[in-house]
Amino acid sequence: MNNLRENLKEQIIEQLNLEDIKPEDITNEGDLFGDNGLGLDSIDALEFIVLLESKYNIKISDPQEGKKIFKSIDTLASYIEKNK
Amino acid sequence: MYYIHAISSITHQNTFRIDNIIKELSPIKENSNLISPDYKEFIPGAALRRLSPVLRIGLTAAIDCKNKIGKKFDAISVGTALGCLRDTEKFLKTFHTSTSDFISPTSFIQSTHNTIAGQISLGLKNHAYNMTHTQNNLSFEMALIDAIMCINEGKINVLVGSADEKTPFLELLQPKIISKKYPLSTGGSFFSISKTKNKIGIIDVKTIFNSKNTELEIKDFLKKHKYETKDIDVILHSDSNIEIPKSCHFINFLKYSGLYYSASSFALHFAHDYLISKNKNSALIVNDICIDKVGLILIKSNEA
Repeated sequence: MNNLRENLKEQIIEQLNLEDIKPEDITNEGDLFGDNGLGLDSIDALEFIVLLESKYNIKISDPQEGKKIFKSIDTLASYIEKNK
Repeated sequence: MYYIHAISSITHQNTFRIDNIIKELSPIKENSNLISPDYKEFIPGAALRRLSPVLRIGLTAAIDCKNKIGKKFDAISVGTALGCLRDTEKFLKTFHTSTSDFISPTSFIQSTHNTIAGQISLGLKNHAYNMTHTQNNLSFEMALIDAIMCINEGKINVLVGSADEKTPFLELLQPKIISKKYPLSTGGSFFSISKTKNKIGIIDVKTIFNSKNTELEIKDFLKKHKYETKDIDVILHSDSNIEIPKSCHFINFLKYSGLYYSASSFALHFAHDYLISKNKNSALIVNDICIDKVGLILIKSNEA
C-alpha cells in the first residue's frame, strides 16, 4: 500500500508536469486540489481519470465520484486498492 | 501610421529586454537554442507547467509589452504558422497509439485554434477581442492587418505578434516542405501598437497570395505610398531573389532569426531597432519564406 502511494506521487508529478515538486513534497493526507493543497484544477481531474485507466485499468463512470476519490493520495490509493 | 510603443522578442538571439537588439545579433548556427528568460518571473508555476515553448514565449512577451506601456490592451492579435506544434504532435501520437478509452486532455486543449491569443487573454486577465491567425508564412502579416483594422475601428492599444516553435518532427519534414536552407528555430516577437505618435510607425502591410513576381509586388506596394525602392534605406528580406539599388542596405533576416514561418515579426523588431540605431528613415520587410506568398511591411522613422 505504501509502495502504491509512492508510485502515485511519481505518476502524478509526471502526468501533470509538476516541474518543481518532488514526491516527498506531497503528503498522503493533504488536499490535492484547491489553494490549500497542490493547487490542482479541473483539467488535472481529467488527467487523473486518464491516469487511473491507463495505469490501473480502473474506469470512473460517475464524474461526481472524482471529488471524493481525488481528494488526497490516501483516498486515491484506497480507491485503487478496492477496485483493481 | 500605426506607431510601435513596446516590443518584446524571445528568440535564439539575445533579444529579450534589450534596448536595441542590433548589437546583439550574429548569424545563428545549427543547433543553437532558444534564449529563454526566467518564465517564472512572469507566469505562475501552476499555469507554466502546462505551457509549451510557443505559449511561454507568447504570454511572457505579451506581459512584457503590457508592463512597458502600463496600459490594458484593447485587442490581441496573434499570428502563428503552425501553432502549438508540440502539443498537436503529442495529441495525435497518443490518439493514434492509445488503446485506452480516454486520452490526456491537456495536449488536445492546447492543440485547438486560438490557443495562443486565448492563453494570452487568460494570462493577462484581459477579455478583449483576441484572435489567432494562421496563414502559413503570412501569419504575422495577417495578424498585423487585423490589429490595424482594430485600431481603425476605434481600439486604442493593440497587442500584435507572432510565435512559432520547432520540433524534431518538423526538422525531419523541413527539406520536403520548404526550399530555404536555414537552421530551424523557435521564436516570437510581440508589439504594442497604437495611433499615438512615437519614434517608429508602420505605414502599411500587404499580403499577396499567388505572387508571380516579388519585385513587381514591391514596386506596386511602394508606389501606392509614393516611394521607390531607391528611397528605402534598408530592406529586410527572407533570402529573397530580388534586385535592389546599391544605395539600399539589404539584410537577410533569416540569417539572424533562423527559420520559422512567422519570422517576419522578428524582422519588424530588427527593422525598428535598425532605423533608430542607424538614424535611418525607412525600412521594408519582404517575407517570401514560402514560394508565391509575399508579405510586405513598410515602416518609417519620425526622427531621422
